Amino acid sequence: MESLKLPKDTMLGAAIVTITGNREVFIENYKGILEYTTESIVLQGKNAKICFEGSGLSIDYYTNEDMKISGKIDALRYI
Amino acid sequence: MLHWIQYLRGYVTVRVWGYSVERLLNLCGNHDVLVWDIEDHGDYHTMHISIAGFFALKPLLKKTGTRVAVTGKYGLPFFVSQMWRRKLFVAGLFGCIFFWCLASRFIWDIQIEGNFALTEDVLMDYLEEQGVHTAMKKSGLDIGALEQELREDYDLITWTSVQLRGTTLLIHIKENDMPQYDNRNTAQTEKGMDLVAGKDGVVTYIITRSGVPLVSCGDSVQKGDVLVSGAVPVYNEDTTVRRYQYVEADADITLSYARNLSLEEEIAYDEKCYTGETIEIPVVGTGEKEVAFRFRKVPYAFYDTSEEKKQVQLLDHLYLPFYYGSRTVQEYEIVSKMHTEEEMKTLLQERFRKIISTLNEKGVQIAEKNVTIKKNEKKWVLHARMQLEESAVKLAPTTVTEPVENSGQEDSQTD
Repeated sequence: MESLKLPKDTMLGAAIVTITGNREVFIENYKGILEYTTESIVLQGKNAKICFEGSGLSIDYYTNEDMKISGKIDALRYI
Repeated sequence: MLHWIQYLRGYVTVRVWGYSVERLLNLCGNHDVLVWDIEDHGDYHTMHISIAGFFALKPLLKKTGTRVAVTGKYGLPFFVSQMWRRKLFVAGLFGCIFFWCLASRFIWDIQIEGNFALTEDVLMDYLEEQGVHTAMKKSGLDIGALEQELREDYDLITWTSVQLRGTTLLIHIKENDMPQYDNRNTAQTEKGMDLVAGKDGVVTYIITRSGVPLVSCGDSVQKGDVLVSGAVPVYNEDTTVRRYQYVEADADITLSYARNLSLEEEIAYDEKCYTGETIEIPVVGTGEKEVAFRFRKVPYAFYDTSEEKKQVQLLDHLYLPFYYGSRTVQEYEIVSKMHTEEEMKTLLQERFRKIISTLNEKGVQIAEKNVTIKKNEKKWVLHARMQLEESAVKLAPTTVTEPVENSGQEDSQTD
């Protein structure tokens, strides 16, 4: 697997989370939205749930594959 | 860029509430319904959704048990439908833009700067002659040619600049400050000019500056007689004329002559008496034609009409060919009256005084005058016998020419 040098996200179906500072998050390869409030956003990954905590969170846009969140982010937890 | 696409395709803002908004969002993602700017307000969520997406939302709402309400509509499709309802407004807008574009192709104002000796009226008349006027097409104007024509036709103008600023034609000229010399006289001097009597009379004063005087003080002359000759003879030793040198004759000459004058004034006269009855008629017109808003005949036997008109004006210089105003009709009666003696005297004297003052203005001096007034029942007659003095002389081309010169040459040959 390693020697083929294939991108891991496509092979494993893992989510990629890109955080810019503490104000912007870009998530690819997620499966769905489980919870959305201004304090927390919980997304379903393939193997784990991804939980963003903070304040004033809003979803700028989302499609089936990716999503952009802005707001003040305090914590990122995998449940 | 994304904003522009969103605007062109149109979108709505909606408020969503109900059992599970998250599930609705997931379904939207799965059904390729574009949703953005999602915000949580506690009880409800707001989001932006495309028009196509909004219509696809209905079955999803049913499935998830949520409800939706539109709070705002944005984008071109909504704007167009809004404008479609205001057809007249849009037509007016386009009409306005069309008229604006059309009107900007014409010259609506002409301004002239830098003219002192040449009045604006003169230049405006000249421009009119050249086919340059307000409400002409800009494309029909040749700026370079106009500049050149202005310089060529007016010697006084030394520099011109014509420019179009918007719909205003700006003409800037500079006039020559140096005095202008008239070259015509010097050209004619080569032929020689005589001073000729303009009237019959007696010479009372003569001082010659150039030329040969042919008369002296006290001589009687007739109209057309040469007083000072412009041909100055150059003599041979034997006092015969060798040739003539031609000059422009110049002299101060005063001619004295008698003039009889009689003025008549009748005692009876008609006077206009206004009765005070007037009619005002509003008038509207364009060019030569005008319409008066009165359809009955004026009921007066004698009347004066006076008109006051104003032209419709848009800017400082832009007059439209429409005018409005009022016509006043005043009734009068003719009353026969008789002048008193005192009035007759002042009337005659006033007329005589006017004649004298016009003579004075012409440079005529009165050396003697003898005035008598004759009266009879119907009229008074003023007789005046005046001795006038005037420099009544004219320049005329000299009559002494080549043949005399030839005879002079013959003389010298016989010698």
